[in-house]
This record gives sequence, structure tokens and C-alpha cells, in this order.
Amino acid sequence: MRRTWLYPVLTVIVVTAVLLTSCQPTPAPTSPPKATEPPSKATPIPTSPPPTAPPAERKIMTIIFTQEPATLNTVYSSMWFESILHQIWSCWALEYDDQNEAFPRLVTEIPSTENGGVSEDGLTITLHLRDDIVWSDGTPITAEDFVFTYQMYMDPANAVASQYPYDHLESVEAPDERTVVMRFKEPFAPWEAWFWRGLLPKHVLEPVFEANGSIIEAEWNLAPTVGCGPFVFAEWESGSFMRFVKNENYWLGEPKLDEIFIRFVPDDASQTAALVAGDADLGTFPPLSDVPALQDAGLKIIVQPSGYQEGWFFNFREMAHPAVQDVRVRQAIAMALDRQAIINDLLLGLTTVAETYWDGTPVYVPDDIEPWPYDTERAKQLLEEAGWTDTDGDGIREDANGNKLTLVHGTTTREIRQDIQAVAQQQLKEVGIDLQIFNYDADILFESYSNKGPAAIGDLDIMEWSDLPTGFPDPDTDYWLCGQIPSDENPWGYNYFGCDEELDALFGQQLTTIDAEERTAIVHEINRRMHDQVYWLGLYSDPDYWVVGPRLANVKFSGVTPFYSIMEWDLQ
Amino acid sequence: MTQYIIRRLLQAIPLLFVISLILFVLMRNAGDPLATMGGRHLTRPDDRARLSRQLGLDKPIYMQYLYWLIGNDWTKMDVDGDGIPETPGTRRGILRGEFGTSLITRGKPVLKIIWERLPNTLILMITAEAIIVVFSVVIGVYSALRQYSLMDHMVTTVSFVGYSMPIFFIALVSMYIFAVNFKKWGLPYLPTVGMFDPQTGKTSAQVALHMVLPVFSMSFTSIAGYSRFVRATMLEVMSEDYIRTARAKGLPNYMILFIHALKNASLPLVTIVGLDIPMLLGGAVVTERIFAWPGMGRLFLDHVSRADTPVVMGILMLISVAVVVFQLITDITYAWLDPRIRYT
Amino acid sequence: METTVENVAANVLDEFEIPPLSPRELVWRRFRRHKMAVAGIFIIIFLILYSVGGAFFLSESYANHTDTSKRLQPPSAEHPFGTDTVGRDILARTIYGGQISLLIGLFAVAVETIVGVLIGAIAGYRGGLTDSILMRFTEAMFNIPQLFLLLVMAKFFAGKIPTIQLLGRTFSGSVIVIIFILGLTSWMYLARIVRADFLSLKEREFILAARTIGTSNLEIIVQHILPNSMAPIIVSATLGVASAILVEAYISFLGLGVQPPTATWGNMLDGAYNYIDSAPWLWIFPGILIVLTVLAINFVGDGLRDALDPRTLTE
Repeated sequence: MRRTWLYPVLTVIVVTAVLLTSCQPTPAPTSPPKATEPPSKATPIPTSPPPTAPPAERKIMTIIFTQEPATLNTVYSSMWFESILHQIWSCWALEYDDQNEAFPRLVTEIPSTENGGVSEDGLTITLHLRDDIVWSDGTPITAEDFVFTYQMYMDPANAVASQYPYDHLESVEAPDERTVVMRFKEPFAPWEAWFWRGLLPKHVLEPVFEANGSIIEAEWNLAPTVGCGPFVFAEWESGSFMRFVKNENYWLGEPKLDEIFIRFVPDDASQTAALVAGDADLGTFPPLSDVPALQDAGLKIIVQPSGYQEGWFFNFREMAHPAVQDVRVRQAIAMALDRQAIINDLLLGLTTVAETYWDGTPVYVPDDIEPWPYDTERAKQLLEEAGWTDTDGDGIREDANGNKLTLVHGTTTREIRQDIQAVAQQQLKEVGIDLQIFNYDADILFESYSNKGPAAIGDLDIMEWSDLPTGFPDPDTDYWLCGQIPSDENPWGYNYFGCDEELDALFGQQLTTIDAEERTAIVHEINRRMHDQVYWLGLYSDPDYWVVGPRLANVKFSGVTPFYSIMEWDLQ
Repeated sequence: MTQYIIRRLLQAIPLLFVISLILFVLMRNAGDPLATMGGRHLTRPDDRARLSRQLGLDKPIYMQYLYWLIGNDWTKMDVDGDGIPETPGTRRGILRGEFGTSLITRGKPVLKIIWERLPNTLILMITAEAIIVVFSVVIGVYSALRQYSLMDHMVTTVSFVGYSMPIFFIALVSMYIFAVNFKKWGLPYLPTVGMFDPQTGKTSAQVALHMVLPVFSMSFTSIAGYSRFVRATMLEVMSEDYIRTARAKGLPNYMILFIHALKNASLPLVTIVGLDIPMLLGGAVVTERIFAWPGMGRLFLDHVSRADTPVVMGILMLISVAVVVFQLITDITYAWLDPRIRYT
Repeated sequence: METTVENVAANVLDEFEIPPLSPRELVWRRFRRHKMAVAGIFIIIFLILYSVGGAFFLSESYANHTDTSKRLQPPSAEHPFGTDTVGRDILARTIYGGQISLLIGLFAVAVETIVGVLIGAIAGYRGGLTDSILMRFTEAMFNIPQLFLLLVMAKFFAGKIPTIQLLGRTFSGSVIVIIFILGLTSWMYLARIVRADFLSLKEREFILAARTIGTSNLEIIVQHILPNSMAPIIVSATLGVASAILVEAYISFLGLGVQPPTATWGNMLDGAYNYIDSAPWLWIFPGILIVLTVLAINFVGDGLRDALDPRTLTE
């Protein structure tokens, strides 16, 4: 019959097609750990060049990012992945070393009252710039760039991410090319940490500003070809990678690496896979369950304290559950959580318990702070004292009126936080506290008061996230200021926690105390009070975790400016 | 016919308005883009108040919708916060072709953001669609002709299973087998991340290699569904009288198959494919997320989770317009192919 | 039996004595012939027993009991399906997760059917301007791809509904949210079908007759038209359950579905792909259960479609 040939042919087509879609004859081999090769866009290079490579072998370090930056302009940076790049292609006036101590970068010395950089009344700060600083295109960096940066921060048309702390300035002047004079309205103690984090090149951006009235759409924001760091921006392919090449005009000398290649992956699993396969030299924040696999593959995990601590923020405003407004209940909770067990089981013991909000800067932690022990008996005792007893035998305590001790706990959707919530729920159940847990996306959790954000309107008794003092490495913090409580008159306030008059006064005092010793004493007082009252319960210290590949040498990190020593890094 | 087209296009306009209104209201209430602008720290109140004003987010929602629709260069905005509007707006609105700028990637035009990702999605989806159509037809026809044979039963069962699997399950299983386990067993393995290996560059070979697993995952489910459909329509057509006549006339089987049966059976398939094409623009959101394909689906996910209204609205409106246009094209093609249909 | 005159006569007499089958029995007979559909019913019964019956053996608190020292353990005698990232038993979680997933499927379809039938019936019966407006609205909703609409709506409703207690179990409020948004994004297809049916049925003589004797509109719709268009509604509802379970899995996978600790098969898969080779038991078991359920429902739906609609029978 004529048709019999049709069906076997169809079958063969179907079968081969199925086979073809599931197998592939030649894969692209991943680049071997030893040799390096320049990325080329036109010609595929299936295998690495033989060991007898041409003499100019480029040293390219590959970093994996699990989030892609949205912009590179320093005034618009809000993501961590954007700000850590500053040390690569941009420059700060002061940078921080691996002990989180400041050292001068663009200036000759750090201003202080001793050397006259800071005036006696604290209202004027003078910066003396180095003579040899230049932009990557050869133009000298002058005080005019500083003034221009200040103007760009303050101009409303630019809609910058944050005007802090430039809004405390009265003016910035450049009496000559090497001097910058900052005048304040009031003494501002945290000035050292947050000014001049990234400089804008006046000669590149001023024409754009004059033409468009704003730098918000400048091409430089996404392709900053003129920078002042050891490397210069080369290329950014959205969704895939970003490249920086050596800055030939860098005033401190020549960086040892030729190129930094940043690859974007969607999640932690891909990062781990890339690191283990040797496709990358540096990774960030690996999931702790992957750490053994990474270490087996020869990678080092470097833990760099960055001031961030994961902790529970207690809501003691009047709409909170009456129990959590009672300090005894909060203390009971502090003693009912086995924080060390959480760290050992969920975090592989790789970090430490956080006790105070300022653990990241030990100088501000007084010696007489006693850590809360894990003591369920004492916790139950405190709860009884506070009037919460289990009268109906269902395992949850009630007060005299029969109201149940049910607290609402809210946090974001990160897996580790959900795991901690589950564990905490169980631990608190043992002392008779019922914890109701909620998870929100970050932009919903922190919705504004006018949009009924759960944290803002006080629906949550306990909130958990990782944070650090606002001015880190300066101790200044404004979360607990009474003036920051959100209300109809002040819908943007972010004191979701409560007002303690004594604490409020202390916070206000330390802000304007220029003398370092006096200020430290005040911060110690603040710390003691916050700890005794358990306004904030530390869970664990949340440092930066870096995964360093075996090729890298001379690697040092900072908690504030991670890549401060990037020009020393080398590949072997 | 022209009248019909014009009428349909005119009907589409209020439709698009309604769609945009529904979506805009939903988006503006779905999270605050300013809440996370502080990075790992809470956004400072001063900055939040200022940005809310500068980005136009403090206006009532109908005003925001109006500005999105027809721009704000005909009115003045209060940018410096003194309560007096003094700066003329710069937006022209979507009706004049400007999709606005992203709130997250401050200042970058929405169209530019979409345009960067659109080709990536198109490459993936067009390839997948082509494979789906070809294989559905082949398998469906084969099943219909060999109805109730062993092959038909096997294909039917596999189709059902494939149709019932969530796409990410197939993706996970295929990743597990072809990437992870192949690598363990020392066989040549497939890449699972991204569109190309950045060290090697964006070559056709690289892209094709990285496309294999995503296309396979997407096709499997769809081929399963469509082949059943083709099979059903083929069976219907094959039992028609005119096929019997053709066979009685002695026409060779392949002529009956291709010239008569297939042409008529493919008409409903045209409808389905025509309606599927605009969905291509959306990209397979889940597939792109699993395989880290830098396409529109991932763009949508990233920006929805950070409540970036302009970008999300831009993507959704593009898709809606494409759906409307392609529905019209499909109807016209259908009428052209099937002489029995006449639109008044 | 041999073909003798007596036998033939006996058979003919039998024909007269056996009463004809009622429509319901006819449907059942045709359904029974579809072997896979029958298999599907058995699988569904098994799964329901698994989720509901299993609850008698393992308590809910056991399913939510965390023991971080036992996290990520492979299947063993004590934990037949292994443990998850905080040490919860996966077998227990699939049991309770099954309850929620099936519940979501059923209730989402209920919402979808009610909304779809209501809109379709009103549009089809009234015609004219009402019909036009309702159909424009339906088309608008239909034109937005379902997954996108779901993501936006999930974000919109996130965190706005508190937990509820029902039948001795505590559910996260996101279960209600998911049910509603699933139902509210899939009614359009059904509305179209019902409208088409109503448009054609309302011109038939028996409707005209009912109207002349003064039957109210509501009675006409409910007692006369609706029973005649049940077939597509039933089929659509059945297949809708499968679709709802699948879509729930999708959005849970994307992280916007039911929030933990309430387990569903879908959200057990969320994040499990980070452990794709280190802990495959995390996603294999819920995944297989989803596939089984959806497969079974698809079989049954296919069988129903063949049984209820004689035109698609091919022999």
C-alpha cells in the first residue's frame, strides 16, 4: 500500500526530534580555573588557550551578583550591590579599612578639632584635597566637583535617593581648588561617615544639567565612563553582565588586575553552582546550607562585620498588644528564645548572638551590659509576675480579663526569616506565648502610614529585619525619636516602635555633642536603656559573607567600603 | 471587510481604556516603591516625603492616571515642596507615545527598558512556538490516523501527563536530569542559567545551546495540549463526507491527507496560534525565572515585586494591544481561509 | 447462543421489556467506557482519602512542628518523605497541604462558576445594552494574560486579610485571597459559553411557552434554561479544578501564593529549586502529587466531555 511509508517516517521524525531537544552533542565547556581569556563578543572560544599564552595575559576577576544594579550614579544608589561598586569605579572622600576605621582617600587628612579641620563650635568643617587626584579622563578633581555634587544632591529636579546628610548643611564653598569648606546650621556629630560618598564629575554632568534641567536621565547614570576609582566602567549588558577595566590614570598607581567582570545570576543556587564550578572568583551572601559544598570546592568564606544585626523590633505604642508594652513581658521573651540554638541550627554556627544595636562598633557598647540568658523558668516567672497566667489550660496565657497572650510577628519573605519565625513560634509556645506570624514583601511591610502599611499603623507587635545604626559607623540612630512616630500630621515618620521620653532626649543630645568622649558616654547610656527595656532584641549579627575563590590573593574587605583595597587584589 | 476592521478597531479603544484603568488601580495599590528605596535601611522620612512629591506619587490616583495617560506638560508641578506649582511637567503621556520613566531605575525610559529585553523573549518564544506548532501537527495527525493503536495510546498518555504537569516541574526535572545528573555522570551537559556564557560572548551557538532546556520545558506542556486538539479536529474532519468521497474517487492517501483533511483541520489551530502569539510578548514568566533568561517575563517579575508602576503598565499595555491586534488578524485570516465565513 | 428463531424472538421481547435508560444512566455508561476517566476517579478518591484520612494519623501540630536539628534529612523510616529546611516532616505536610490545595481548587472553581454563570446568564438573557457592556468587560479581563493579572492582584491583596479558624484548622488569610483571585481571573471563558447557550436557548419554543403562561424571568432561567446548558458548565468546572490547582502551584512557586506555615503543595515547591540536587525529596513528592491530581482530574474531565456531548463521539 502506498501509505505505509508515511507512518514510519513520521515516527522517525518525531523520535529524532524528541531526542534532539533533550540531548546536545557538544557543550560549551566552562572556563577552566587556571587560564584566563578575554571575553570576545564575535568569535566563540570553545577551549581555553594553551598554557603557552601570549605574554600579555589579562587578569580578569569574575564576581557573581545575585541582584542587578538599577543605576550606577552614586546619588541614586540605594541597593547594596550598587554601593559596593563605588570603590571600584568611583571615590569617596574617606574610606574604611578592614577594622571599619576611616582613612583619607581624596583628602590629605581627616578633619578634627585637633588639626583645625573642625571648628571649635562644630559649625565649620574644612577639607584639604590631595594634589594628585584626577578623573579617569585626566581632568583634575577639584573642590568645584565637591560643590557641584552638593548642588546636585540638593536640586529638587534630580529626585535623588537621599539627601542625607546634605540637608544639614547651610552651604559648601570652594575658596580655592584644593579646599572645601562645609558650613552647618547646627553642630552635627555624625558628619564623618556620610558625606562625600561618591563624587560627581562636574565637567561631564554640568552640561547635561544645564541642558535638561536635571541629571535624572543622564547617560552617565547607566554608563559612567568617567570615574575616579582604580577601574573604569567599560560595558553593561542588561540582565547579563557588567565590566570594568583598569584605570590608566589612577593617581595611586596601577591596579594589579586588568579587568573586573560582574555576572548577574537570578538566585543563590546559580551563584553556588558557578562558584563551585570555578566560573567565578567572588560571591556574596551564600545560603549557609551551601557553605560546606563551597568549602569542599576550595573556596574560602570570609566573614566581615558590617554593623548589620538581625533583631526583633518591639512595638510599644498604645495600639500594640498590652503585653508587649510591659517591659517584663519583653524581658521574658528575650529569655525564652534560644538564640544560640537558632544560630547553630539555621546558621551553621557561622555568626554570633547580637546583644545590642551597636554591636558593630564595640567602642559604643558599655562593659556592664549583661546578655540575656536562655532561661525559660525565669521567663515564665516574669510572665506570671506581669499578670499572665494560663487559667484554662490550653497552653496559652491570659490576663485577668481573659485576653489571650497572642502576639503578632511580621517580617519579610526571606526563607531564613520564615524559618526563624517557625522556630520562635515553637519556643515561645513553651512559655505560653502564642505567636502569630506574617510575611510580607518588603515594599508592603514598609508601606507608608497613609497607605495602611502594617508596620506603620502598628498592626505588628514584633517586627524583624536586619538593620544598623543610621549613621554607621557613627552611632547616630533616629528610629526611636518621638518625633518620628507616624501620624496623620506626620505620615512619613518611621518610628514604628514607640516613644520613650528619656531615650528621646539622649538621642537628641548625642547628635549635637562634638566631643568624642562625651558622646561615647551618652551612647553608652542609650545602649543600657535600650537593652534593659528590651526595645530591640538582637538575634544574630548579620555580617557580610564573601566567598573567595582560590585564585584571588591580597583580598581584604571592609564592612563599610568592601572593595577599599581592590587595587591590591591579584590573581595567581 | 474594511468596515468590519474599522469597527473592530474602534471597539478596541474603549476596551483598552478599561484594561488600563483596571490595571493602573491595581498596581498603584499594590505596594509602595518608596518603601525600599533606602536599600537595606528604612527610607528616611524626609526623603520619602520629598520623593513622593518629586515622582508625582502624592497626587490622588485619578490624577496619577490622567498624567500617565496624557502627560503633565500642560500643567505645573510643585517640585521644591513649597506648595506652589512652578515647574512645568515633562511627561507627554502614553497616548502621545511616551511610556514614562521607571521609578526603580530612576530616569530610564520605560520603552528603553522593555526594548532591551524584548528581543531576548522573542527569540525564545518564536522558536518555542514554531517547535510547538510543527510537533503538535505531526503528532496530532499521526495519532488521528492511527487512532487507538498502541502508539496513539502512548502518545495520548504522555500528552495527558505533560498537560498536567506544572511547567516548572518539567523544568526542574529536565534541569535535574540533563544538567545536574549528566554532569555527575560525566556526560556532556546542558547549561541552565542565562542566555549565553559571558566569557564566551553572545554568539548564536551559545544562545542556541542555552535555549534548549527552556524551549523543551515550554514545548512539552503545549505540545501535549495542542496535539490532542489537532487529533480531535483531524478525527472530526476525517469522518466528514467529502473525505469519504475523495477516497471513493480513488485519490491517493497523501493527497487526501495534506490537501483536504489537513487544510480544514488546521483552521481551528490558526485561531489558537493566533491567540497565542501576543502571549509571546509576556514571555513565559516562570520559565524565564527558573532559567534566568533575561527576557520580558523576568522584567515583569522584578518590577512588579518592587511596585514599579510605569514599567509594569508599559509591559501590560503592550501585551493588551498586541492581543487585540492579533485577535483581529486571526479573525481576518480565518475568514480568508474559510470561504464559508463572511463578516458583514 | 445460536441464532434460532426462538432466540431471536426472546431477544426482541427482551428489548420491549427492558425500559430505556434514563439520560443520567446513559451518561454514566458512556463515561464508564472511557477507561482512563474511570482510573481518574479512582486516583481522585485515593488522593482525597490521603489528605483527609491521613489527618487522622498525623496531627496538624506534628505537620508544623519544627526541629532544626533534623533539617533536610533524606527519606527514612521515621520520616518517609524526609524533612524540610526547618525539620518538619514532609509526609505530614503533604497531607495537610493536600487538604488546602484541594480546597483551593474546589472553592476557586465555585467562585469562578458562580461569577461566570451569573454574568453569562444575565448577558445572554437580557441582550442589548447589558449584554454589550458585560461582554466588553469580559473581553477586557480576558485580554490580560492570566498569570500577569494574578501576580498584580496577589500583590494588591497581600497581607490585607488575617488568619481564620475553620473546622479545627488555622488557615493563613492568603488562602482566601488565592481562592478569590483564582476565581476572579478565570470566569471569562465560562461566561462566554454560558452566554452563547443562553442566547440560542432563549428563543426556543418551550421558553416562549413558559413566558406566555407567566413564569417569572428568574424561574425561566433557573428551571428551564440552566438545566439545559449544564453540560459545558460541568465540564468546565471539572477542568477548572485542575487548572486552579496548577495555577496555585505557579503563584506559590513565584512566592506570592499561600504564606507559610500553612502548607500547600504549591508553596512546598517554592524555594525548593535551590535544593534541586542537594535535597530532591523537597520537591519530588509534592510535585508528583500535583501531577497525579491534575492528571486524574483531566482524565475525568475528558471522560465527562465525551460522555455528555454525543457529537464528539468518534467511532
